[in-house]
Amino acid sequence: MTNKNKVLETKNISKSFGSVQALDKVNFDLNEGEIHGLLGENGAGKSTLMNVLYGLYKEDEGEIYIRGEKVEFNSPIDSIKKGIGMIHQSSTLVPEFTALENLILGTEGNKMTLELKDSEQKILELQEDFGLKFPLNVKVKNLPAGIKQKVEIIRAIYRGANILILDEPTTSLVAEEFEQLLKSLKKMVNNGVTIVFITHKIKEVLQACDRASVLTGGVMQGTLNTKKASKDDLVKLMFGTHEIDITESAIPIIDVPEVEKSKEPILTLNNISAKSKEKDGTDLKSVTFDIYGAEILGIAGISGNGQKELAEVIIDPNNITEGEISLKGEKINGITTNKVFSKNVTYIPEDRKKESILGLGNIKDNVLLGHQREKKYQSSGIVKWDKVKQDAKNIIKEYQVKTPDENKRIGKLSGGNIQRVVIGRALLNDLDLLVTHSPTAGLDMASVEFVFKRLVELRSKGTAVLYINEDLDELMEVSDRIGVIHEGKIVDIFEKDQFDKYKIGSKMIGG
Amino acid sequence: MAVEEKTIEETKWQLFWNGFKPYVLALLIAFAISGAIIGLLGYNIPKAYQTLLFTSFTSRRGFIETLKKFIPLTFATYAFAIPFRIRFFNIGGWGQMLFGGAMTAIVGIALSGFNLPAVIFIPTLLIVAMIAGALFAVIAGFLKAYYNINPIISTIMLNFIAFYFVNFIATNEPWKAPLSGHPMTLRLPEAAILPKLFGQIHLGIVVVGIAIFAIYFLMNRTVLGYEIKATGLNPDASSVYGIKMKRTLMITFLIAGAMGGLGGGIEVMGVHSRLIEGFALTSGAQYGIFGILTALICQGNPLGVPISALFISILLVGADAMQRTLQVPVELVFLTQAIIVLLIVILRRKAGGSFIE
Repeated sequence: MTNKNKVLETKNISKSFGSVQALDKVNFDLNEGEIHGLLGENGAGKSTLMNVLYGLYKEDEGEIYIRGEKVEFNSPIDSIKKGIGMIHQSSTLVPEFTALENLILGTEGNKMTLELKDSEQKILELQEDFGLKFPLNVKVKNLPAGIKQKVEIIRAIYRGANILILDEPTTSLVAEEFEQLLKSLKKMVNNGVTIVFITHKIKEVLQACDRASVLTGGVMQGTLNTKKASKDDLVKLMFGTHEIDITESAIPIIDVPEVEKSKEPILTLNNISAKSKEKDGTDLKSVTFDIYGAEILGIAGISGNGQKELAEVIIDPNNITEGEISLKGEKINGITTNKVFSKNVTYIPEDRKKESILGLGNIKDNVLLGHQREKKYQSSGIVKWDKVKQDAKNIIKEYQVKTPDENKRIGKLSGGNIQRVVIGRALLNDLDLLVTHSPTAGLDMASVEFVFKRLVELRSKGTAVLYINEDLDELMEVSDRIGVIHEGKIVDIFEKDQFDKYKIGSKMIGG
Repeated sequence: MAVEEKTIEETKWQLFWNGFKPYVLALLIAFAISGAIIGLLGYNIPKAYQTLLFTSFTSRRGFIETLKKFIPLTFATYAFAIPFRIRFFNIGGWGQMLFGGAMTAIVGIALSGFNLPAVIFIPTLLIVAMIAGALFAVIAGFLKAYYNINPIISTIMLNFIAFYFVNFIATNEPWKAPLSGHPMTLRLPEAAILPKLFGQIHLGIVVVGIAIFAIYFLMNRTVLGYEIKATGLNPDASSVYGIKMKRTLMITFLIAGAMGGLGGGIEVMGVHSRLIEGFALTSGAQYGIFGILTALICQGNPLGVPISALFISILLVGADAMQRTLQVPVELVFLTQAIIVLLIVILRRKAGGSFIE
């Protein structure tokens, strides 16, 4: 039996990838005109479920009903026809096209000429209706992430979507932008659109949604009415008996002990300028700050404002065009990455798959990365694989990496497990300075807690931590100070007693 | 516990089989296709296959011929396989063989007056061949590292240079052999010629053995080998963690060139006893091309190189025999080899395998 009042309903959807059961007999339904939160940790199967609904994956078993009618989706073309639109985590727009060209791309099927004028009028109306303003004639590659998301939402609506799936839409938004998005979503709901809001943040679900379903490990744990449910109810569904204390922003509560920071700074940047290594990167302009031992200096900023360049200038001071950088009082301008690493410094990059790991290599290969020239791991150019193997085993054991053994291909592990290996590798040596960029991105709660604990432990041991993150809530949780980076400049540094989400947020957008 | 271990055991076996399945399938399909063509052209299919696959094992001559091809082919394969580990294509294996061979002849002839004993002369010339090949190949590595010139283009151009360099040496004083119709140099002194071990098989087979072991050791046990592997697996992450791309790139070309050069030098010292124009050819095609094909079959895996090279050598010997005894054109075997390579690449991709391991 299916319920005709349900806009969408799934029955016993199962999907596996090789030996991994991504979805196990999942039942899920949507009421007309609701915002439905789909909550779960990373790897819980949220995106898989939505990709099945969008026709990108074919379910192994189970049925999908739209308004009571059974449907078969073999590709997104089928689901778009049925009014389903999906906004993916990363942009699917054509960067070289303008917003307008992207919007009409693929919609004017039968016409020989593009009648942009009519389309433009219709799009302007949609923008007006939903409060999603953006310039139509600017190339998409020049738009910031928050705006690209608006373009994608309008594109879905323009193509006639009345069920809109948003996959982790808040990842690259500041507090203000999130509130704007929420307003727009409410307006769409009033116009008869039903929305699925995928997130791993409980706070967002409570703020944005009417109902919420919780997935863990591919199993649907249940659906709650968020108007009646509390944070604790959702936490129980998500984590069961596994107890993690979390804050209002749904991040783990960490005990940050009082420690005395060192008298002399570990790292000093004095008027540092540097060219970005990437074509469309942001150059650093006269950056000045210190980090002391036993201190976590947070760096807040909207993604792409020079965070990556800041991290890279420290681990590769070769790249500096102006200014002076010194480590423990010694000038390190112009030395190589290997030399920097040999001075008890290490780096955990932002893009885990692209820059932290050898995805096709096994865990041992990855444990050695960055350490391969240290005396501990080689003698006269011969790798001590026994030692590497032992350390890999230790990391797996100590940090509870879920893997059969150290010979497993690391790319096949989940993000949380990969990050445990990466952090384990970073902590193989005693550290004076750790530079880390969004180490918690895309991790489940237990792994986020794990990362935070390690950062705080390092701080207690006297290590200086430069903690770059786009998530302000997370920064405020563990940082001693927060510097704000905007267009390659550190525009302000806040002391702990001055932390304020809106003040820091407004500096982040250049206010 | 016991149960868990058993499942891991099974997956290991499965992984092993998954790794091999594409090869088995590719061979079966490729032989089926070429068999059909042999049949359509009116030849005796079982007889053709028997000749193709077993000539190497059924006669002493076939066996020796196979090893004679195996030696240069293994070196040509390494020349392609090693830069391929970091996803660069060295099309210049042939040129590196030619240049290594030419320099061996030049130095060998120059030293002919010194009456060096073989124990000194032979290793010296082998080292000359390696250095010559390495320096010749590193030109392409350098052009890529500092001028971003695609090694495919530069190595093809270097092949022409090497070819005409051999031609120049073989037709000009003081190297050229007087009164010979074909361009060739004077004969190397006796002490510079690789001694024969059995039949036509010379000391080169021992050098190949050492090279196989050395490359295996280098790639799997050393920091350098690790850095090459890491760069191949993920150049971005490797560079973040301090492995210098330019350095790794140039080193892989140095090693590749050393292998190619050694292959060329051994042909000069072991087979011809002199530099002859067109010396690095087999079945009418140059070893460089077969080296690429052979390396692609084993996806550049250093341990796979000798196995793959032996397999192709068997086919080449079988193809020659097939042409001689049954008049089946040797090109049919080239066709089979090409189909095998294409199928392996396709099937591995389909199985979700990586381009390189």
